[in-house]
Amino acid sequence: MNLVFEINGSRRSLGNVPCHATLLSVLRDRLGLLGTKEGCGVGECGACTVLLDGEPVNACLTAAWKAAGRNVITIEGLATEGLHPVQEAFVDSGAIQCGFCTPGMIMSTYALLKRSACPDVEDIKSALAGNLCRCTGYKQILDAVRAAAAKMDRTHDDEVSGG
Amino acid sequence: MTIGESPARVGSVEKALGRARFGSDQGEPGDLFLVCVRADQAPATIEALELDRALAVPGVVRIFTAADIPGEKLLGIIPVTKDQEFLAENIISHRGQAVALVAAETEGAARKAAQAVELRLSALKGVFDHREALAENAPQVHAGRPNGNLMARRVIRKGDFESALNTCAVVHEAEYTTSFIEHAAMETEGGRAWIEDDRLIIKACTQNPHYDRGDTARFLGLDPDRVRMIQAETGGGFGGKLDVSVQPYLGLAALLLKRPVRMVYTREESFIGTGKRHPFLMKCVTGADSDGRLVAMKMDLSADTGAFASYALAVASRAAVHATGPYYVANVEIDCRLAYTNNPWAGAMRGFGVPQAAMAHEGQIDGIADKLGMDRLEIRLLNALRPGQETATGQVLTQSVGIVECLERLKPVYRTWLSEVGPDSASGRGVGVGAMFYGIGNTGVSNPSTARLEWTPDGRIILFTGAADIGQGSDTVLRQIVGARLNVDPERIDLVRADTDFTTDAGATSASRQTYISGGAVLEAAVALEEMIFSEFEDLMEADRGDLEMAAGRVWVKGSPNGAISVEEIVQSLAQRDIRAVGEGRFDPATVALDPETGQGVPYATYAFAAQTAMVEVDKLTGEVQVKRVAAAHDVGRAINPKCVEGQICGGVMMGVGMALMEEYVPGRHANFENYHIPTIADMPEIDPVIIVEAPEESGPFGAKGVGEPALIPTAPTIASAVGQAVGRPMRHLPISLERVMDAVTGVNDEN
Repeated sequence: MNLVFEINGSRRSLGNVPCHATLLSVLRDRLGLLGTKEGCGVGECGACTVLLDGEPVNACLTAAWKAAGRNVITIEGLATEGLHPVQEAFVDSGAIQCGFCTPGMIMSTYALLKRSACPDVEDIKSALAGNLCRCTGYKQILDAVRAAAAKMDRTHDDEVSGG
Repeated sequence: MTIGESPARVGSVEKALGRARFGSDQGEPGDLFLVCVRADQAPATIEALELDRALAVPGVVRIFTAADIPGEKLLGIIPVTKDQEFLAENIISHRGQAVALVAAETEGAARKAAQAVELRLSALKGVFDHREALAENAPQVHAGRPNGNLMARRVIRKGDFESALNTCAVVHEAEYTTSFIEHAAMETEGGRAWIEDDRLIIKACTQNPHYDRGDTARFLGLDPDRVRMIQAETGGGFGGKLDVSVQPYLGLAALLLKRPVRMVYTREESFIGTGKRHPFLMKCVTGADSDGRLVAMKMDLSADTGAFASYALAVASRAAVHATGPYYVANVEIDCRLAYTNNPWAGAMRGFGVPQAAMAHEGQIDGIADKLGMDRLEIRLLNALRPGQETATGQVLTQSVGIVECLERLKPVYRTWLSEVGPDSASGRGVGVGAMFYGIGNTGVSNPSTARLEWTPDGRIILFTGAADIGQGSDTVLRQIVGARLNVDPERIDLVRADTDFTTDAGATSASRQTYISGGAVLEAAVALEEMIFSEFEDLMEADRGDLEMAAGRVWVKGSPNGAISVEEIVQSLAQRDIRAVGEGRFDPATVALDPETGQGVPYATYAFAAQTAMVEVDKLTGEVQVKRVAAAHDVGRAINPKCVEGQICGGVMMGVGMALMEEYVPGRHANFENYHIPTIADMPEIDPVIIVEAPEESGPFGAKGVGEPALIPTAPTIASAVGQAVGRPMRHLPISLERVMDAVTGVNDEN
């Protein structure tokens, strides 16, 4: 099938996308957007989290055709220049160790902060419960989400390239 | 001075932007994709391996079997126990073992063909329990071994256990068990290989590129010089990426097909095709005097090492050496035996058997405390190792022994939490305490690291290190060490890391050794480079070397900063004589091998110490346990980067929560996170305070030791102790599942 969608602010048209293709395989194998990771392939780990019309989804479980005519944002599309405040907060808080869960974790955090500017600990835990991390123990991730909330609240610079 | 500061981790900006390229991200258009064909039954004899149908799948290029291996068929991390067939030849030893390797134009074709391979097996009688494996007439996992299924044994004898036990006022006897655990690093194993100038180049995730090169070269019958191993960004390891995984397969296909190839394990393959944490059974008898001083300790440890040796020798030694915990015990009798079974192999996982042994020594000391009506923290303080005392292996600890300070600084938190919870278990809440010690580096053997540092004439400072940063932060810490010694901003230092063509062997990222050992090598390289620069300054300026200072890339005679010249000028002066400004360093901690009969020796040059406390809440109707709070005190010698240390501690605590409450890998049942659950952020307790204790180690860089594994070790016993307090019965078997909690609450299977 032919797939037309908006990815990180650009309209793309892809031919010969198999009907069973996942959004993850289109992003990684067709578009070379390797920032979105596959950790489990069954929607349990959240490493493949991207935004579909602003909502976080597991790209490994999302059929590619579902993105037709819609807007997809991946980790590569979050910052217009330099680092987005969420990315900056993850770097500064020490929330990144091996970094494999980081893109998914950052996309889930961004989605959370878009809908709730000042989340409490329970909101954060509920929003990130689908993103597994084996390195950090989550404490510095929690710190990063709080720091990102403060940064985004301050700067109001929360628009992303496709958003 | 950059020691004790926390600059952002090297590489974290690229990771935040999604630009870091992990092993599983390697590949170029046109690469062939590799998939293993794995047996779903074991033990078994291969009756037939029919490839025709699979070869007919469009896009398949070739299917390799054991017959195609050009070199040695048996691989393994420990040189004397190489026993693992990466492509089984005749016998399937464990479920999930590979029998063939498909190379195809696409991943889809490779996976389709792998399913089309017809493997006919004839079942053999197997053994799946390590106790049964050591019984007489047990089926033999590997035929013809003089020791049968006994893979590894470590014995420790000190004092006279039997006589000493007779003098004890109180004796406690109990059994403990732990489970197989999957590492579950977020990145599965992956990489790419290609041929360049008649050499094989492999870029893959790994914890030990120099070992990978050696074993891959053996497998392929190549001189190691013809193989270059480059560590790709590695998405966690925890010991699971110490054994080779995709590397031999990548090498085989690239070498024989002369085409670039890539391979990425699915999560299911990563579960069934890699090593696990050893499940242990630990039978303990501990005696103490009426004051609660430990007098005699006997432990019979046995564990399941699965079908292959991997790190079994190291796990047997480590579990035995640490079985008495961070306590002084004069009379010790420890036997540790690891048995082959037909289960998946068990190897290195964060702590090498010590997290398991900690369940036993901490359970025992709680048992003694309860029998004497003593406080659980006070009994640990009473028995904690102090400078001048001997460990179970007869090693006298002279300095950097921070366990007393860990316990003292934890005490106020523990007391407050205890008073909040109250003395009885009616509230459903409990507070536990646990402690550990952990030897840094490999056990009783030489395990050096080497490093090289160059200051180039154009002003670059380049650190060449073979140490694989897998997320723990060695890149950051090693740069800080160089920066501190040469008085330059660590940001100025370029890194060339874990590439066997450009870096010398730093040994494995394991045994919590990179900060201490590679840090030591890097520091020595910096000292050598400084020496060279000072010597040239002396020649240029006719100055007295003893009085020189260097900072921010300039050198001057102490007291005369106006006469400073730049290091660049000095380096250029050397370059004019064709001399490069290079410092080389090597550090190998002093150890004495353990005596095979008595286990006496100096297994490690230094030890990390830690104590943790936890508050849990148990729902006595459902058996659900919530870990509410954890406090952790860790003696790391010196925290080079406190934020990295805190990150390691919090990560270790959460892995400990998983080990304590939820993780048990059952072969054949678990293959993904759908039913193998690891802790999520929703399971996270409040981890506060994190107390960093610094009892500096004389031989460590700026006093540093290590923290990676120590972070995890006390957590499970601490939680077990807390749950035990909450339910009024000791919890000795991991994981502490809902069923086990309900059994304890209702008094089923009561051991007391």
